[in-house]
Amino acid sequence: MKNRTLIKDIIIRLLGFVLAMFVLSVVVFYFARLAPGDPLQSFYGDATESMTSAELHAARVRLGLDAPIYIQYIKWFGNALGGDFGLSLKYKMPAMKVVSPLIGNTLILGSTAYVLVFALATGLAIACAANEDSLFDRAVCKIGTAAYYIPAFWLGVVLVLIFSINLKVLPSSGAYDIGKSGDVLNRIRHMILPLIVMILSHLWYYAYMIRNKLLDEIRKDYVLLAKSKGLNKREIIFHHCLRNVAPTIISIMAISIPHVLSGTYIAESVFNYPGLGSLSVESAKYHDYNLLMILVLITGFLVIFSSIIAKTINEIIDPRMKDSEVSAWQR
Amino acid sequence: MENILEIKNLSLSFYTPSGEIEALRNINLQLGKGEILGIVGESGCGKTVLSKTVLRLLPKNAKIKNGEILLNGKDIVPYSESKMRGLRGSVMSMVFQDPMTTLNPTIPIGKQITESILKHSNIKYNEAKKQAIEMLDMVGIDSPEKRFAMQPHFFSGGMRQRCVLAIALASKPEILFADEPTTALDVTVQAKILDILLKIRDETRISIVFITHDFGVVARIADRIAVMYAGKIVEVGKTEEIFYDPRHPYTWGLLSSLPYFAKKGEPLKCIPGMPPVMMNLPKGDVFATRNKYALDIDYEKEPPIFDITDTHKAATWLLDKRAPKIKPPKFFGGECHE
Repeated sequence: MKNRTLIKDIIIRLLGFVLAMFVLSVVVFYFARLAPGDPLQSFYGDATESMTSAELHAARVRLGLDAPIYIQYIKWFGNALGGDFGLSLKYKMPAMKVVSPLIGNTLILGSTAYVLVFALATGLAIACAANEDSLFDRAVCKIGTAAYYIPAFWLGVVLVLIFSINLKVLPSSGAYDIGKSGDVLNRIRHMILPLIVMILSHLWYYAYMIRNKLLDEIRKDYVLLAKSKGLNKREIIFHHCLRNVAPTIISIMAISIPHVLSGTYIAESVFNYPGLGSLSVESAKYHDYNLLMILVLITGFLVIFSSIIAKTINEIIDPRMKDSEVSAWQR
Repeated sequence: MENILEIKNLSLSFYTPSGEIEALRNINLQLGKGEILGIVGESGCGKTVLSKTVLRLLPKNAKIKNGEILLNGKDIVPYSESKMRGLRGSVMSMVFQDPMTTLNPTIPIGKQITESILKHSNIKYNEAKKQAIEMLDMVGIDSPEKRFAMQPHFFSGGMRQRCVLAIALASKPEILFADEPTTALDVTVQAKILDILLKIRDETRISIVFITHDFGVVARIADRIAVMYAGKIVEVGKTEEIFYDPRHPYTWGLLSSLPYFAKKGEPLKCIPGMPPVMMNLPKGDVFATRNKYALDIDYEKEPPIFDITDTHKAATWLLDKRAPKIKPPKFFGGECHE
């Protein structure tokens, strides 16, 4: 019985996931085409200015841009199911080929930042909550509030000024020096500045959120019972409170994936780091529809899938969540 | 009887931004080995603060102004936090009022019990698990092996309170502070919890401080009763002495407000007024404004504690030789002297 509901749940969630991806693709497909601008310009460059309207029309027909949008969508959808995501108009090669070498770069940068942000945020939150209202706690909260409002792109430029231009210790752009794509140390050196920007712009917010959640937890009655058992602060926080805050932290982590991902995109464009972020900005700028679609689908996949995983993990940690899923209307 | 806990001249205040709150004022109290002491009083009179002071579970702004807390003859007031931690759970532990919130919702009951056992002894997990299951059995949980691995949300309020009791008793403490452990439960479950406490006391000779505002509960369980008002103990004595020969007007008020004594057709009795805010207390006896027997001196000078018998003491000017003789209300048809 229990297994059957589990399988049913998984199937329902997967169906929801597919539906969400479908809706996402329709909306982005439609809106991208409604935006002003001409994709032919990115395909032919300045040559479009000397082309006749007949030539332009022929080009549109050739690229499949003349049909009504829904026809275009159906065609794209059919091809996409077969794994063909079309040509990138700007790069004039299959969109998949443009994207695939860059996915790795973004994933390395994004996931490193993600792990570091949450590891540091949780650590900072625990240190603050354990010493509530101490000088340390207050300093972290105040610095955090201020730091949260420093724009990431400005911070990036300042860091480049200090470390790349004045001190000349760290590279200012790229993912690796030319010819050194396999050199791990070289890659790490290139990631330091983007990582600092991403951590400094995300850390405080999450640390503050987790800290407050922990403090709420520490005020609960069961902590008093735990204390009257003779447990010390460390045992109470790690064995009792953290466990109860974990679902919240995981939810925050899941919700924050788009946030951190967008942070990655900003850091990528500031540091000219070749990744999906800088590519997305370009593809939108140049009306590179097919490239845009694949990037949106990858981003959407990460966001939606991570929220499903977070939900599943939460139910394992705290089985009450599942019980309370039935709303009052269904009782 | 040998005293396991002795509180001497204990005063404690909370220091808040709006002023000093005198939560405990000159408390003197003894607890014998294997004794059940009931502490009775209205909400906010300091019952809970008193027990939390002994366990040192109060927030930082609470400071002991003077006094001693002698545990087995040793004053624990100057003890460090880590030394106190060694006492909590193993020598004294506490049961709280609301069983719905005092258990950690995500940790299985069994683990919450073994945690305490493992903390205070060097035994292996399997041994601790065996002891925990014995504890659950002792507090009356059916099929404890099965329940061991269950989270609190599978349990009803009464069962949760039994689990809390099992946690508190897991490391075989010498003193148990039970802070209104039955208030949140319905009456039949209340009776069962009281029976369990009595049974455990008889089996283990544990001393219990039972805090409640319910005289009915305290009559059933306590050997001695201390009545508290506004951070002071106003009357203390054996249970029979308090019920059959109460001397303090506040005790009279509490007893006469029991629905048990109400007559059909008459409104329920109550003590007029409200307990005072414990900040800037008035001169004299704090209870005077609510006391229809108050004497002039009650507004001038705090009454000392008068000994009525060796065990029975009360703090009221009515016991002074010069006080006018008044006829106290009668309870239980008991003979009231004077």
